[in-house]
Amino acid sequence: MKKLLSVLAIAYALVLAPTLAWAEAVPGKPAPAFEVKDAAGKTQKLSDYKGKWLVLEWFNKDCPYVKKHYEKSTNMQDLQKKYTAQGITWLTVISSVKGKQGHMTPAAATKYFKDKKSATAAILLDETGAMGKAYDAKVTPHMYIINPEGNVVYAGAIDSNDSSSADVIPKSKNYVAEALEASLAGKSVATTSTKPYGCSVKY
Amino acid sequence: MGPVENIFMKIFVFVLVQFLFLSMGFSQESIKDQHIRIRVLAPQIFSSEDETVMGLYFQPDPEWHVYWQNPGDSGAAPKFDFSSQTADIGPILWPFPARLPIAHLTNIGYEGSVVYLFSVKPKSTSDVEIKMNLEWLVCKIDCVPGFAKINFKQPVHSAASRWKAADLDLVKKFLARVPESADSAPLKISMAYLDQGHLKLKVKSASDLKTLQIFPLNGDFIHAATPEIDANGDEFIFKTTSVTAPAKLSFVAAYNNTAWQFNDIPLSLTGAVSAESLLSLIFFAILGGLILNLMPCVFPVISIKTFSLLKTKGKDRVKDCLLYSLGVMTTFVLLGGLFLFLRSFGAAVGWGFQLQSPAVILGLVLLFWLMALNFLGAFEMGTSIMNFSGQLKGGSSSFGTGVLSVFVAAPCTGPFMGAALGAAITLPALSALIIFLGLGFGLALPFILFAFFPRLLTVLPKPGPWMEVLKQFFAFPLFATVLWLLWVLGQQAHTHGWYLASIAIFVVSLAIWLSKYLSSQKNIILALVTLIVVGGLAYSLNLLGSPTSSQITSNWQAYDEAKLKEARQNGQAVFVDFTAAWCITCQVNKQAVLDTVEAQNYFKENNILLMRADWTRYDPKITAALSKLGRSSVPVYTYYPRDGSEPKLLPQLLTLNILKGETQ
Repeated sequence: MKKLLSVLAIAYALVLAPTLAWAEAVPGKPAPAFEVKDAAGKTQKLSDYKGKWLVLEWFNKDCPYVKKHYEKSTNMQDLQKKYTAQGITWLTVISSVKGKQGHMTPAAATKYFKDKKSATAAILLDETGAMGKAYDAKVTPHMYIINPEGNVVYAGAIDSNDSSSADVIPKSKNYVAEALEASLAGKSVATTSTKPYGCSVKY
Repeated sequence: MGPVENIFMKIFVFVLVQFLFLSMGFSQESIKDQHIRIRVLAPQIFSSEDETVMGLYFQPDPEWHVYWQNPGDSGAAPKFDFSSQTADIGPILWPFPARLPIAHLTNIGYEGSVVYLFSVKPKSTSDVEIKMNLEWLVCKIDCVPGFAKINFKQPVHSAASRWKAADLDLVKKFLARVPESADSAPLKISMAYLDQGHLKLKVKSASDLKTLQIFPLNGDFIHAATPEIDANGDEFIFKTTSVTAPAKLSFVAAYNNTAWQFNDIPLSLTGAVSAESLLSLIFFAILGGLILNLMPCVFPVISIKTFSLLKTKGKDRVKDCLLYSLGVMTTFVLLGGLFLFLRSFGAAVGWGFQLQSPAVILGLVLLFWLMALNFLGAFEMGTSIMNFSGQLKGGSSSFGTGVLSVFVAAPCTGPFMGAALGAAITLPALSALIIFLGLGFGLALPFILFAFFPRLLTVLPKPGPWMEVLKQFFAFPLFATVLWLLWVLGQQAHTHGWYLASIAIFVVSLAIWLSKYLSSQKNIILALVTLIVVGGLAYSLNLLGSPTSSQITSNWQAYDEAKLKEARQNGQAVFVDFTAAWCITCQVNKQAVLDTVEAQNYFKENNILLMRADWTRYDPKITAALSKLGRSSVPVYTYYPRDGSEPKLLPQLLTLNILKGETQ
């Protein structure tokens, strides 16, 4: 009977298993490792964050959808502040290749996030795009939540409305906040995967 | 014409032009924004009688584009928010799009200009007024969003609507690209199902699928990239995302500038199979069952059965054969039913599940042991044991042999069975049971043939004293089977496993010897005691943890999905051996091919990472991995090419040449 029950628990995973693509950062699976220099010159590794809740946010300062959450509103900064205060680590990743839209020098990146009063822990300058590709980050903002065991628990859009207008934010369902609330309360995440929206990452 | 008339004429023309200009004024409503111009295409006068299709004409700059309702990997569909007091407005009609590759992503939108259409039906003859709130995204590689509000107003009369010809032409041109109902389509989507992380769409079409364009309306679940077409040319294969699969899917298919919309195609998560492929699966099931007769685990039982047939004659033989077949098929269906029952609880079981429990193995050990003793003449025991061995004339014995054949057959997944069993785990219950019945039919087929063509039996030699000798000889394959099962127990439950099983053998043997000298009453007590002892042993066997798999050697790593993924990312080829100690086919392949020096050298030379997934004891991860590959039994040999392409399944009976041929 015990066996049957444990088998039952696996069943859900099994039912979902066939729906999983060979994508790289998939909810329920270990997050791909990364090793990227941040704007402060420090090397950031996934393994540094073992035991912590981690949010990864793909960023491009010139993307209208990023501006929606950073400039036309302070939605992203508010999220960063709120959950950083609760002990999660927030990392912002710029995968724009040199010469393409959204690429930033360490100094420019540091200044931007300071000006925008961002509470992100570090700005990862993924100039080769290796980290972005490992995560299969498609757009900015593409959001990932990684649990203390190093598994992805959420991947996808920041919220439910793909408009570039900030007016819709109050009416949108914020998937990242929802997933973090559930995670921090020790519950499982209801929506683990959504279609991300935004500008293509400029690899 | 005099000068006065001339002036009047001029004034008239002037007024007329003014009038026309004014009346057209609203329909010329247009917006110029960054990289795009947008213009309303509407009749100069609406008809109060008819629904009129009008549109919004989006003209991006060269190389810039706007999107379809499913924009693909990035980008966004335009948003239309219409409100009107004076007219009913229909939903947006989206002309069929094109795939636009952007770096490694795929967007779905329009190359060049497009008209987004919608129908308008005036409620009365008062002016049509529509408040339009537009939001769009126009992209080349970078994207620029735009917003606009248009207050649209145009008169209505009771006659037919009146258009500016150029505008009407534009509307008509794009209306022709709006998908029609699927009923009129020259193609049919007969099924959508999931297979190994891909969505497969079975399509019946007179024309080559390559000439068709197909777009999913749901971009959440299905990748935007152009789908592949399967080898038979009748299926589109889409990559899927990690978003949970919806129950229904809609598609737009376009061919020769015409498109059709297929709404709400149910997605069979369980991968239902069409009638034709069910037929071929049944064929493989029967073939697999037939081949099972020759497998080492079944052969002793079958030979005993054949052998016992020699003793019977005429009608009894036919009856025996049929009863045996009935036993085989009933057991297959019952086991299949149990399998489906467990599956309906979501249990991750696979074929051979009955052998993943040490207690069942212990049962088989004792059974084979007793049969062997019986063959050697160590004891004659009324009915029960020999019934099973098929010795007696009674009908129940033949039926029992049938049951036994199926039980011992489980470890020997033969060729052709893998596909059929794999399908059975995903099929609806009824089809799955038919597959199991097919396997049973195949296993029983030689005896069914004996029943209907009794002449076949005359090929067999006449009964005589040689039969006794042969019977004794057959005890030895059975002893060998016992040895092998003890080894399996050792794999499942450490050295304690075979030790406890040996105690059980000892106790049962002793009890049988004792029973010769006891009264029938005392025999009942003896039987009870034996049962309790054996039951206790079986129970403790099940409690024993499984040891680290002895199948893992220095050359083979234990199966680990993360490691597999990592190796693939590093461009290394990987070979995975899904195996189990109780699977004879697996052991044969291992000894004859996989673990030979030649094969190991070959793997080393080609830098192929070797992984072994040991399924001897129940392991949910391996069961899940198998089901991802569409299989529910072992052996499964999977080769992951170094270029990162789809894994390849190798045949279930390996040779070195096959191995080398398939892993290049």
